[in-house]
Amino acid sequence: MTEISSDVIRGYNDTMILFILEQEPSYGYEISKQIKRISDGKYLIKETTLYSAFTRMEKNGYIESFTQEQDPEGNGKKRTYYRITDSGREYYRAKCDEWSLTKEVVERFIKI
Amino acid sequence: METIKNYLEAMFAGLPDTAEVRKAKAELLQMMEDKYNELRAEGQSENTAVGTVISEFGNLDELADDLGLKNEVQEFNDAESANPRRQISRDEAASFIENRIRKSLFRAVGVMLCIISVACPIITSQGDTQIVLAGPSLMFVCIALGVGFIVYSGFVDSEWKFIGKQLCFIDMNTASYVKERRKSFEGVRAICLTLGIVLCIVCWVPCLLFSASARVTIGPALMFLLVGIGVFLIVYANSASKGFDMLLRVNDTKTISGGYGEPAPSEMKYVSKTAETIVLCYWPVVTCLYLIVSFLSFRWDLTWIIWPIAAVSYRAVVINCRSDD
Repeated sequence: MTEISSDVIRGYNDTMILFILEQEPSYGYEISKQIKRISDGKYLIKETTLYSAFTRMEKNGYIESFTQEQDPEGNGKKRTYYRITDSGREYYRAKCDEWSLTKEVVERFIKI
Repeated sequence: METIKNYLEAMFAGLPDTAEVRKAKAELLQMMEDKYNELRAEGQSENTAVGTVISEFGNLDELADDLGLKNEVQEFNDAESANPRRQISRDEAASFIENRIRKSLFRAVGVMLCIISVACPIITSQGDTQIVLAGPSLMFVCIALGVGFIVYSGFVDSEWKFIGKQLCFIDMNTASYVKERRKSFEGVRAICLTLGIVLCIVCWVPCLLFSASARVTIGPALMFLLVGIGVFLIVYANSASKGFDMLLRVNDTKTISGGYGEPAPSEMKYVSKTAETIVLCYWPVVTCLYLIVSFLSFRWDLTWIIWPIAAVSYRAVVINCRSDD
């Protein structure tokens, strides 16, 4: 069975996370579930990978974190949520362009 | 869920205790908990859910990089390979505890023999010349035996001498096992300490009871016997229970796993070197004084009064010699 090359996908974890955060603010496990759902279960992001991406992107100013109650009634623990920033949107667009170019170039060498 | 917490705990055990590391640990636990809860809600068994969560967790190396902990992790790994921390497993902890209890028993018996030895010349001092002479010899035999026991107790745990010299660590499992053992020993310890203290407090009663009898020396002899047994119980209980705290304290408190035991209580501080000498020599000097006065005056029915007086003045001496900071 073919597996995703972790080397290649590493550069696009940020893109996937930003794609999800562009729709609405979200939190760790929810994001990993979305990635699994959108990729039809073909890609499972590891918790450590996800958390590294959060800290890295927060440092770079692409996302912001805030805490919110776990459920609307307000009982229960607080949870860390993330939302995309303007520079995050810019970065996302740049990554999309980068991928189109990469795909276009690599595609020319692929025989199926 | 306990297994997941333990797993995370073990993964983070060597990392420094900083705000970033704490946050990372809390966030990762939250994600794992969410996943675990959902898998359980989907009807998976506890074991399957735990297995899935752990297998999909990833590893900390990439995380350390992004947390700016690359140097710390590197340092930790270097230190680890240069001077490996020795893990003390659960089985080792169990055998350490057995060993410690045996050691404490030998040591306590040794101390007891040394104290009781004094009773020999006292009890024989009231007889014929031959019997009188037998007393000191018996005393030295007792002391020799006692010292033998104490020296031997030092060898009993020689294979565990590395604790305290080498960096060691225990995991949470072992720690909770040791805590359990400590809890079950707590009852024995309480009984030993109470009985020991009571024996030391009432030790002068025989002196009072036998002061009118023809054989006045029975009183003081019994007194040393009672003190000997009392001290035996106190030494045994304290020394054995110290073993549990020793194990719980082996972890490096600077890492995020921290120590499992309370920090070691600070030793008594003295105002000066002279004060320390006075406090440390107090009881041996009192014992010698008591024996000299008693043998010279041969008023065993009266001389016991030295002990209560000495005990009261000991408090005064300690209060004056101890520094508060």
